[in-house]
Amino acid sequence: MARSVPVPKVLVAVVAVLLVAVGAALAADAPRKGGVLRVGNLGEPPALDAHWTTASITETLTNHIYEGLYSLDSGNRPTPMLAEGVTVSKDGLVYTFKLRQGVKFHNGKEMTSEDVVASLARWGRQAVPGKALFAQVAEFKGLDKYTVELRLKDKSAIVLISLAVPNNFGAIYPKEIAEKFPPEQKVTEYIGTGPFKLAEWKPDQYIRMVRFDEYKSRNEKPNGYGGGKTAYVDEIRWVPVPEVATRVAQVETGELDFADDLNLDAYDRLKKNPNARAIVSKPYYWLVAVMNKKEGLMTNQKLRQAWQAAIDIEPIMKNVAGGKTEFYRMDSSLAPVEVAAWHTKLAGLPWNEHNKDKAKRLLQEAGYKREPIRFMTTQEYKWMYDFALLTKQQLEDVGFNIDLQVVDWATLVKRRNNPKEYDAFTTGMGAFYDPTHHIYLTAGWPGWTTDEDILRLQAELARETDPRKRMALWEQQTRQFYEKVPVIRYGDLFGLRAARNTVKGFNEKTERVRFYNVWLEK
Amino acid sequence: MGPYLLRRLAAIVPVLAVVVTVVFLLIHLIPGDPVSVMLGPDATPSQIEATRKGLGLDRPIYEQLIGFYARILRGDLGQSYFLDRPVSQALWERAEPTLVLMLSALVVAVAIGVPSGTIAAAHRGSAWDRGLMLVSLLGVCIPGFWLSLNFIYFFAVRLGWLPAAGYVSVFTDPVGAVRYMVLPAFSLGFNQSALIARISRSCMLEVLQQDYIRTARAKGLSHRAVTWVHAFRNALVPVVTVIGITTAVLIGGAVVTEIVFNIPGLGRLIISAILRRDYPVVQGVVLVTATAYVLINLGVDLLYAIIDPRIRYD
Repeated sequence: MARSVPVPKVLVAVVAVLLVAVGAALAADAPRKGGVLRVGNLGEPPALDAHWTTASITETLTNHIYEGLYSLDSGNRPTPMLAEGVTVSKDGLVYTFKLRQGVKFHNGKEMTSEDVVASLARWGRQAVPGKALFAQVAEFKGLDKYTVELRLKDKSAIVLISLAVPNNFGAIYPKEIAEKFPPEQKVTEYIGTGPFKLAEWKPDQYIRMVRFDEYKSRNEKPNGYGGGKTAYVDEIRWVPVPEVATRVAQVETGELDFADDLNLDAYDRLKKNPNARAIVSKPYYWLVAVMNKKEGLMTNQKLRQAWQAAIDIEPIMKNVAGGKTEFYRMDSSLAPVEVAAWHTKLAGLPWNEHNKDKAKRLLQEAGYKREPIRFMTTQEYKWMYDFALLTKQQLEDVGFNIDLQVVDWATLVKRRNNPKEYDAFTTGMGAFYDPTHHIYLTAGWPGWTTDEDILRLQAELARETDPRKRMALWEQQTRQFYEKVPVIRYGDLFGLRAARNTVKGFNEKTERVRFYNVWLEK
Repeated sequence: MGPYLLRRLAAIVPVLAVVVTVVFLLIHLIPGDPVSVMLGPDATPSQIEATRKGLGLDRPIYEQLIGFYARILRGDLGQSYFLDRPVSQALWERAEPTLVLMLSALVVAVAIGVPSGTIAAAHRGSAWDRGLMLVSLLGVCIPGFWLSLNFIYFFAVRLGWLPAAGYVSVFTDPVGAVRYMVLPAFSLGFNQSALIARISRSCMLEVLQQDYIRTARAKGLSHRAVTWVHAFRNALVPVVTVIGITTAVLIGGAVVTEIVFNIPGLGRLIISAILRRDYPVVQGVVLVTATAYVLINLGVDLLYAIIDPRIRYD
């Protein structure tokens, strides 16, 4: 008879302990429902009407309450959200969208085609991307309860991307609300289909959003801004905390779970905090000096080229980033790395040449006689002021005479619409998800880019639907940009956020924050 | 007293009229407008113009000023462009935090300043005198925002004793309200206590040199009785003036404290309103603040007559 070998008791105990430990670790990583997520932001939104304003704080908040037909995936490409999908006719002129069924608004009503038609019609009359798209639309109507049809006047490359962009987006409201509030008037009833619904808004104190229990998520995994969305937390409490040092302190003490738009000085302190983590947010802004090409000194292309040739960008970016290499990136592409579809790596561009001789020669060719160049900036965004100051120094080294005018943001935004009031101004560009959305390449936006070649290429980009041909056009446009210099492109600046370690599931790769699919560990 | 009071109350009207007119013109004449701020950085000029028209901001400034006066006389402070609510409602919602902060800071300022100045005067030339005046000098020199940020760092972040920022209403949670108000009240009150301490000391020194004080000492009264019973009240009139001025200054001084400690009061409201060019709110806050300032001054004047029976108003 064979004897069985006894398993040592110690081994059994060790295996049992390991199993328990692994189980606990897995449980700790598992999402859980509950809790109030307290988020500190820069300030108060001017509206919670996604159609009405391009303010980024509104973009962040409204993308929790509302949804559009499309959203952006992790590659920043259009992905269906409220639409099941789209069929495009062979001539490219008719887009037929099938809507998802059984999607409820926060008031219990089901979303149907009449809501979509009314909402996008309003969006098309007010929002920047909406107006651009609807300028090309011949007709937009519902075919049946769950189908809408968009007929174009001409082929267009921008239909899906326009419906997908998150800023000033085509949010779907109930028909009654979309029709009640004319486009130029802010909506003041906030009903959407998103995973959170508005519970309370106390201006300058907080905005409370609570989980929408009847939210119908897509079945896919989360993917960028799109895919499946789950509201794990019971409530998101958005707290405006204008003083940045206070926002940092409140994450450190645990009074806030998350804070956005922090000063880069706080990075080292946050890294040392055992209860919180620092998050580098990219993309954030790429820094530009926008040239006034309508009136004044900077209508002279040679002068603009001289400015571009003179500047040594790396020390400027390093200084703006507080000496921290984690917070800037040197890149000449007009689309950031994160917008992979449009990121370019072109050789031979006259970017970051820091060629003083070339700059001086161009100044001479321009006939520049040291007239003061009015360069407007603001201290309300410290990085704008910093790069303006350093630019002034570098330009004066080669013979420019820069009159640096420091004003508050409201004044800058007002003055930049008047071509008599400035020659250049500072700003930051966010991520544009399509070449046709690059606002500084349009005739209507401050700076007034009216160069025929640039506008022709933009028009071709709007019509051409073949991706390879579009990319070729975009590369041409990038070269035009560096030759005609409508704006001066500096480097990419990254932002700083902070989260308590109890905040789990946060997607660190999106440009703006989203708190669906986020949970709080107890 | 009655006719004096009526005359002072009547004088408030022209003062307020001048103040609100000047502020109206200033805020409208500085560059920037609310619409550009509200519509965001990518809004087009045509969008901005259309919205300005909708808000009546394209009308000539004199028309807007007349419309403003007409509304004020009806008791209507207008509608906030940014907050989508009547200005009076916005002010009402934010009055409590500011009043609580102001009163708390005043209590701190008086509780530190008056005894400090009195004790320093009573022990003139001693280590107490020098020490207390050094502390009051620090109170004058240290910027309020620096003090506030350091209070937050030490007491909230490092020690974890108190919250860093925020506000809880005393009607909702009295204990919580006190916890949230400690750091802001001390930071604002400490700055103001310095002036009160120095004035208290000067006034007490003057009174302590009077003949009746010498007589009281000669009669054998204790140092404490001489200081607090006989000298203190007579030194109070100028001190009350300073406390009155301090109260009025606290209305404005609360602005920085409210921003650093994220208190949703009138100070934070007016800063936000200026940055956003929310004209009706700026005008409303200035009107309310100016009215409060004038009434506080009147209250201080009336208090003189109570403290010093020799003072009479006709």
